[in-house]
Amino acid sequence: MLDLRTTTGWFFAVLGIILLGLGVFSPGLRASLTEANVNLYCGGVMLAFGAVMLWLARTH
Amino acid sequence: MKLAGVDYLILAIYFAFVLGIGWRLRKSVATSRDFLTSGRSVPVWITSLAFLAANLGAQEVIGMAASGAKYGIMTAHFYWIGAVPAMLFVGVFMMPFYYGSRARSVPEYLKLRFDEKTRGLNAITFAVMTVFSSGISMYALGLLLQLVLGWSFTASVLLSAAIVLIYTLLGGLTSAIYNEVLQFFLIVLGFAPLSILAVAKAGGWSGIEARLPAVMTHSWKYMSTASQNPMGVELFGMVAGLGFVLSFGYWCTDFLVVQRAMAADSMSAARRTPLIAALPKMMMPFIVIVPGIAALALSHMSVGYALPPKGDSYDYDQALTTLMAQFYPSGMLGVGLTALMASFMSGMAGNVTAFNTVWTYDIYQSYLRKGAPDAHYLMVGRITTIAGTALSVMTAYLAQHYNNIMDLLQLVFGFVNAPLFATFLLGMFWRRATGHGAFTGLLAGTGFAALTHGLTIAENKGGWITPMHQFPSTMAQNFWIAIFAWTSCFLLTILVSMLTKPRPAEELSGLVYGLTKIPKDTGVSWYRRPAPVAVFVIAVLVFLNIWFR
Repeated sequence: MLDLRTTTGWFFAVLGIILLGLGVFSPGLRASLTEANVNLYCGGVMLAFGAVMLWLARTH
Repeated sequence: MKLAGVDYLILAIYFAFVLGIGWRLRKSVATSRDFLTSGRSVPVWITSLAFLAANLGAQEVIGMAASGAKYGIMTAHFYWIGAVPAMLFVGVFMMPFYYGSRARSVPEYLKLRFDEKTRGLNAITFAVMTVFSSGISMYALGLLLQLVLGWSFTASVLLSAAIVLIYTLLGGLTSAIYNEVLQFFLIVLGFAPLSILAVAKAGGWSGIEARLPAVMTHSWKYMSTASQNPMGVELFGMVAGLGFVLSFGYWCTDFLVVQRAMAADSMSAARRTPLIAALPKMMMPFIVIVPGIAALALSHMSVGYALPPKGDSYDYDQALTTLMAQFYPSGMLGVGLTALMASFMSGMAGNVTAFNTVWTYDIYQSYLRKGAPDAHYLMVGRITTIAGTALSVMTAYLAQHYNNIMDLLQLVFGFVNAPLFATFLLGMFWRRATGHGAFTGLLAGTGFAALTHGLTIAENKGGWITPMHQFPSTMAQNFWIAIFAWTSCFLLTILVSMLTKPRPAEELSGLVYGLTKIPKDTGVSWYRRPAPVAVFVIAVLVFLNIWFR
């Protein structure tokens, strides 16, 4: 049967990499009401979450 | 709001993953039980998150942000005295009967415990209601996407319905549940940053407190009379109407959520499903309600954000999407929008999978064709999935043209739902309750709900018989309708049960408290036992209520 942790892990890893890429290579992308590099931080969190899921799937 | 290519890419990746999950699970379906009930095989962490996500539809997410902006942190009562205590109750006290009875659905439990007519009444009203509410939420989504992004109503309704249909057809309930977990994570990771950014911009929680009237940031302080708070509800109506009748009625009897727990792989896992789900459920207000409150605070500041106006007030339903447009750059904006789609799909899949089970087992197999081979019911389950989706789409279009009929239907369903918990409470904990009692009680409860609505008036709603009492708000009216419906059902079920012949005790084994062996969970670590988990949840719950009193 499908291990959902692997699927979830890959999904958020891919999303995280896309957002991190945007955050690093187009840091000028800002929404009108915030100065923070939202893509960079959110991408980092998502990549980390995805990595934890993949790690859990491997070790358990 | 303008989307860039990368936003569409993220949406496309999401579609690919949900369809991929359905594709990978297609081989797990061999029998009608696999398709409709997951064959009781799903791990507990998955059923728990699905239990949450099935209820976390787009209307819930958008509506909670809207209520946050309109009523403030009092909205959190829907979670903190509403959902969570009811989730604890269903896990600790009711799941042994649902799971232990081997019933495949909630209406089937009523058939085993009471009789055929009680099951029929519950199954038919439930089936109609699920199709209807999934159509209504589809309509809300189509309307919002049209307003915010200029997408065509037809395109967004048909595309999202088609994707839910494909992955549900492929892997049945298992596929719906697995996708709900992915959708749950996406909702949290897609909306939580919005809450953080909006609150930070408004100067933190203390900045919000400084800018808004105190009633918006206190959940209990202004509830001694209805006139003190914007909800127009007083303490008793809130605790008895919302906290007891409506919340227990939904979380303890609605097959949509109970089905997720019944798919768990053991009795212990089924009981822990709502308990584990209660922990993230308690925290949801910070993700879905707080952004609404922050939106209102930001509207009071001159930072360039304002809730869109509507009449002489605000269009609260746009709180979430307008925040997204102003706080998320391209990229994260795509994630936020995908999260909105995900919440819609999890709600819709919840409705579709509950509908096909009740239709196939409780209506088709019980009344239309008994005793066919299982392959036949598997086929019927699949056809029902398609038919249910088609009916939802039709309802969405009906809602577009006949808004009044939809409001009326929603009202009637409220009357039908209000007394339900009295029937289940007596059924599970009083062995003397009879089928005739339950059936009469349900009808009477629905009748009393309608009568209360006809005799009272609030915001020009109700009072169609003769207005004898005025409520300060429709919310107060709804809560009191529920209280009257529940009480009349409770009393009438007892009365008629006393006058009718009870069922012999041996027939009720496994169905009623006192005649059922409640599983003892000795020998497993404490966090795998229902009671300690429930106590821990209560402790956190009390803390949250005191903190935001």
